[in-house]
Amino acid sequence: MKTYWDIVGDGGSNVAAQVEAQTARLRGRMAHVRRKVAVVSGKGGVGKSTVTANLAVALAMDGLRIGVLDADVNGPSMAKLLGVRGRSLKAGPDGILPPEGPMGIKVVSMDLLLPSDETPVAWHGPAQQESFIWRGMMEVNTLREFLADTAWGELDLLLADLPPGTDRIAHLTGLIPDLTGCLVVTVPSEVSHLIVKKAVSAVRDARWAPTLGLVENMGRFTCKHCGASEAMFPGGDTRAMAAAMALPFLGSIDFDPRLAAASDRGVPFLLSHPDTPAGEALTRIARTIQAWMEAE
Amino acid sequence: MKFVCVLCDTPMKLEETVGPVEGSLSVTFACPSCAHRIALLTNPWETQLVRALDVKIGGRNTPPESWEFVKAMLAARREGALEGAGDVAAPEEGSAASTEPSSRAQAEGLGAGPRCPFSAVANRAAEAASLTWDPSAEERLERVPDFIRPMARQGIERFAVERGYTRITEEVIDEVRGTLGF
Repeated sequence: MKTYWDIVGDGGSNVAAQVEAQTARLRGRMAHVRRKVAVVSGKGGVGKSTVTANLAVALAMDGLRIGVLDADVNGPSMAKLLGVRGRSLKAGPDGILPPEGPMGIKVVSMDLLLPSDETPVAWHGPAQQESFIWRGMMEVNTLREFLADTAWGELDLLLADLPPGTDRIAHLTGLIPDLTGCLVVTVPSEVSHLIVKKAVSAVRDARWAPTLGLVENMGRFTCKHCGASEAMFPGGDTRAMAAAMALPFLGSIDFDPRLAAASDRGVPFLLSHPDTPAGEALTRIARTIQAWMEAE
Repeated sequence: MKFVCVLCDTPMKLEETVGPVEGSLSVTFACPSCAHRIALLTNPWETQLVRALDVKIGGRNTPPESWEFVKAMLAARREGALEGAGDVAAPEEGSAASTEPSSRAQAEGLGAGPRCPFSAVANRAAEAASLTWDPSAEERLERVPDFIRPMARQGIERFAVERGYTRITEEVIDEVRGTLGF
């Protein structure tokens, strides 16, 4: 009797061709994006999204055409951080037109679709209790559509803000065709380093793209009264960790309460506070990325 | 997934896809050599896995719309979030919008371009509406498990329409069982 491999096609659904068509759509769209960088951490709460939003602004201030994909489908924050929350997406002849934030940054986030602050992302399905079986595929296909069906236009750089979890890194970075590199964000704590090292290994094991370097967020805190500067997290030496993992150390961003306040207002910190230590660090990191892009 | 007719050792061709109805797809394959037909009935979890892959069983007749998958699968969406984007019907159970029938001709690429995906279902529904069910036949149908009963009903009614029957009796059900293996 014939085996699976003896039979050409699948009898009519042509599932393989459907999947190929999806991939072709994605590749066609991404061909207009010069560089694609995934911002990853593995660890939650390190300020990865805040760093992504402000790097996007820093690069846009230098004249680059920037898009930001909020790849955190279940915990989307990029619409808020870039001040486009509540805006409508418009359907155009070439796809969905994304709202533009500061400096013309194009933003796509699941948050733009959700009806309220309290609404979690839920999918139509037979029962939510068993959704762990298919939820991962829903998220990957959502991001594929966000990438492929959005009218991003010509971009110099697309930044993808990935969700926490080292397991997600391989799935999501593998989705982005010709990914240029991954930027890794950590805070200088041993606990964060423990997780972030795994993320670096996951990026390396996936072999999709090189790790561009390590960014330390919330490195130091400066007292606004006396001007004394001290470490936010005692113990974790991010520079040493980068050296041990043979990664470029791209810089350390000071903790600044004004950064958190700006994020809450949906106004990028860099626009209002470019001359602060945190603002200057973000600009330096952005310039390093830009120099690397130009050298490539 | 592929199907082969064991008797003829011939790959079977997709003939028709109906559903999802109550979370279940009914996909009929036929052997091009001996015309033997089988139906693959998915349970709601299998149907959901197919949906999550964003592929259409029976093939696609039209290119996908932008964000079609997200629009169809996201359970709650902000009103006005997507301006000018045609709504894609959520895959609610038994809705015509979630039903994508495909004929054998389409499956084999013999169709003359895109067809209305709902006309076959609508025509069949009209024909089925003229059928009467004997109480004993209805009783037999009640013994079929809940989640596949609507598909079984459709299959029996389609069988009856194809043969010009106007009444469904226990004998018709036996005939269906013997022919289609229900």
